[in-house]
Amino acid sequence: MATSLLPLLPQLLLVLFALAVLLYDLGNEDRPGLGSLAMLGPLAALLGLGIVAGHPGEYWGRMLKVDSFSLFFQLLTYAGTFLVILLSRDYVERQPIHRGEFYTLILLAGVGMSVMASSAELLMIYVGLELMSLSSYALVGMIKRQDQSIEAALKYYLMGAVTSAILLFGISLLFGITGTTYLPDIASALALTKDIQGNLLLIAAVVFVLAGFGFKVSLVPLHMWTPDVYQGAPTPITAFLAVGSKAAAFAGFIRLLATGLPAAVSLWQPLLALVAVVTMTYGNMTALAQTNMKRMMGYSSIAQAGYILTGLVVFTPDSLAATLYYLLAYLFMNIGVFACLIWVANQQESEEIAAFRGLGQRAPFYAVSLAIFFLSLVGIPPTGGFMGKFYLFFAAVQSHYVWLAVVMVINSVISLAYYYGVVRQMWLEPCLPAAPGAAAGGTSRWSMPAARASTSTPPAAASSTPEKAQSWPEPTKPASLALGVAVVISLLLVLLLGLYPQPFFEWVGKAALLG
Amino acid sequence: MLTTLVFLPLVGSLILLLLPKDRHVWLRGIATAVSAVEVLISLLLLARFVPGQAGMQFVERASWIPSIGVQYYLGVDGVSLALVLVTSLVTLLATITSYSIQQQVKEFYALLLLLETGMLGVFVALDYVLFYVFWELVLVPMYFIIGIWGGPRRQYAALKFFLYTLAGSVIMLVGILALYFGTGLGTFDMLALQQAGPRLAGSLQWWIFLAFFLGFAVKVPIFPFHTWLPDAHVEAPTGGSMILAGVLLKMGAYGFYRIALPTLPQAAHQWMLPLATLGVISILYGALAAMAQKDLKKMVAYSSISHMGFVTLGLAALTPASISGAVFVMISHGLISPLMFFLVGTVFYERLHTRMLDELGGLFDLMPLAGVIFAFGIFANLGLPGLSGFIGEFFTLLGSFSTFQTLVIVSSLGLVLTAAYHLWMMQRVLMGRAEDLGGGHGPLADISRRELVVAVPLMILVLVLGVYPGPLLHLMNPAVLHLQNVVQVASRWGGM
Repeated sequence: MATSLLPLLPQLLLVLFALAVLLYDLGNEDRPGLGSLAMLGPLAALLGLGIVAGHPGEYWGRMLKVDSFSLFFQLLTYAGTFLVILLSRDYVERQPIHRGEFYTLILLAGVGMSVMASSAELLMIYVGLELMSLSSYALVGMIKRQDQSIEAALKYYLMGAVTSAILLFGISLLFGITGTTYLPDIASALALTKDIQGNLLLIAAVVFVLAGFGFKVSLVPLHMWTPDVYQGAPTPITAFLAVGSKAAAFAGFIRLLATGLPAAVSLWQPLLALVAVVTMTYGNMTALAQTNMKRMMGYSSIAQAGYILTGLVVFTPDSLAATLYYLLAYLFMNIGVFACLIWVANQQESEEIAAFRGLGQRAPFYAVSLAIFFLSLVGIPPTGGFMGKFYLFFAAVQSHYVWLAVVMVINSVISLAYYYGVVRQMWLEPCLPAAPGAAAGGTSRWSMPAARASTSTPPAAASSTPEKAQSWPEPTKPASLALGVAVVISLLLVLLLGLYPQPFFEWVGKAALLG
Repeated sequence: MLTTLVFLPLVGSLILLLLPKDRHVWLRGIATAVSAVEVLISLLLLARFVPGQAGMQFVERASWIPSIGVQYYLGVDGVSLALVLVTSLVTLLATITSYSIQQQVKEFYALLLLLETGMLGVFVALDYVLFYVFWELVLVPMYFIIGIWGGPRRQYAALKFFLYTLAGSVIMLVGILALYFGTGLGTFDMLALQQAGPRLAGSLQWWIFLAFFLGFAVKVPIFPFHTWLPDAHVEAPTGGSMILAGVLLKMGAYGFYRIALPTLPQAAHQWMLPLATLGVISILYGALAAMAQKDLKKMVAYSSISHMGFVTLGLAALTPASISGAVFVMISHGLISPLMFFLVGTVFYERLHTRMLDELGGLFDLMPLAGVIFAFGIFANLGLPGLSGFIGEFFTLLGSFSTFQTLVIVSSLGLVLTAAYHLWMMQRVLMGRAEDLGGGHGPLADISRRELVVAVPLMILVLVLGVYPGPLLHLMNPAVLHLQNVVQVASRWGGM
């Protein structure tokens, strides 16, 4: 039955490479080229995607769906997976991480994400979600010697398991109401339902399934895990959660709402509008107070989830297309930020915002790139983030959601203030003799969180190693090519999405039809 | 040709980034050459411009994002051409002024050229999205110019500048989208929307006008949105202050001229009185605040608020004479304020290291030539007949009188105040004996040759425009009449 396996080719290739990495890593020797092998996985999957693109349709008892929507999100997933492995290559060398398992789990999480995007069957989406989640829980806790990583993993796992159960419960309620878990059938069953507003069972089902996805994209009030997990996880995994996991969860979210629950729009639209406003405002306000870069990006990611959600609230073909466009731009701007963060953390042994001090002089390339990624996150032209936000505003105003657009623009202005905090460190603050984290030596990295919060007491830390207080600490290793490549790729795409959006508009416009 | 004009500085900026950072002479040379070529291109545009025509000239059009009707669409009329000339000249002079900057020279000039691309783009863009892109593009380099090379409170001033203007402009973006969907034309073409805008319902026009007002009022700045200006202008390095006062403030007024008034004429009529009132408040408030300052640079900054109040008043009055006057003030202030900031921020400050009025005095004795130039600037700024400042304000008040008699009478009080604080400024800075100068300074070098290169072109233009304003008025007249016509016709049409 070789032909029927064809639609699954990209995922199969990814699994194949995951197994290959695992087998190659057997034994204790240091395997050269392990990272390259892992990177070939998503590349092969992209090639496979090219073949699958010619065979749209539904396969395997409607479990698997190949349409432009699924192709879009698969492409996003594979590109994200590729970039995350690129970011990891340098990181795993410096951290006590088992590379083989690490790469394998990333690839398997990628399989889960692409499955989520490639089905209109709730159970299949759930299976994809679980594959992605279970891999992520383990990935977050990969730095086994670091308490914060373990704590983050446990938190993520406990909360994630509960919300998965809630999601499953919601799915079973939907099944109870409509007798099916296939989204188009759910939609037609609901279309015949008379009293949507007063159907308590349906309300419960909708709220539960929304909660399941809302947790993954960190919507308030299901966001609690985000800052801790973002801070504790290995940085490439933080990036993976921010771009891959979020995109896949939004894929499931959109599929659920647009294909499964359009009839219940009056139920979820006001709810999500409220959640979107609260989420973006809460994320931005809280991010203002952060001193740790990863934690700040955690809150930033909450705020961004709020922006992206507005596309679902407005719920028109244009707004869904805008959501996809924003997710595309978001992938590259976030990967770019995290690549710069890893680079700085490698140099400074610190992930505090204060570690970015003087970066404009030390490493102008990374500093300028990071500033552009931040401009994109704020939504200032000529970047992809601007076009994404512009498209979201466009769709919102088109459907008379002017108030929502106004809330978004005010939030964008607020967000400038905390991204500005980092930019200020990079250029506006006079250069500091030595980074606080670096003065305490390599151990500071692992003795969380007391040492990380030591920015307020630099004199004590600096006096312990006076020779380092004179100049910038020597880089522990020469700058990694992989991070530079990741930054360049992200930068080019962020600018391309900002300057020449037309082909991408057409693409997402087609994908958003979910046909 | 406009494309070259707009993007040549960007190319120059990228070239600068590739050069080694310690070759200061090269960096300055290339930046100066690029901005000089910009002046030449603008002069060439002026030479080829056909005056007396109402439409856009040097039009360039290409499709950019066809799916939502965004175009790459450039063109100039008489008013934008005049602003382009001021922009390129002020940028060149700011480049020369900034030779004294010693740290991070490469970054400074790269940002300055990037800024020039943004400013020129704003004045020539005829598509809303393109306009918005350039509008925002100006913020980023200016933020860094204030924040890195500015004075002691630069971080605060830079962030305040960025936040204020960003807040205004994102609300403007919502207004642009409301206009786009309100007209239903499916295009962001400014001229096409200008045709369709008057047909919008009055209440929608009012709201869209509010959004534009917030975006432009912050930039002008109109009281009470002005509080970023004294901080930004005082903390910015001299080159930055020159551009801020000379060009950036004009972007807001240009927005009213190009977008808000002609596209939403009925709302413009509803907004006339509040707008003019705010303009008069700006005139008086700016003058009174300037009078209370102890810092000379802050005094000049507040005088900008006062002068931009005349622009607001003139635009709000919507008569041909008042609009001509307002635009003339824009051009004239675009020449005088850089001169003032240059003298205060560079010529005086680099020698005396203070800007406090209490510590200044007797500069006529110490630096005779610089003193005379400063006196010239003061007279120009207070609106002495024969210099350009007078013509604009005269026309503004004359033209506005038929519309707002009381307000014009009140604002002429502003003229008295303006004269008062300027003369007071002159008295405290220039007159008196050299011994009044605190700190026991030794003999001071008079204005240098390089500094004259900056000051003299501005002085000549101020004098020429003051004595012989005809050509500039002639250049702008068709565009001004066109605007007035559009607003009159549309309001009559809407009134029926």
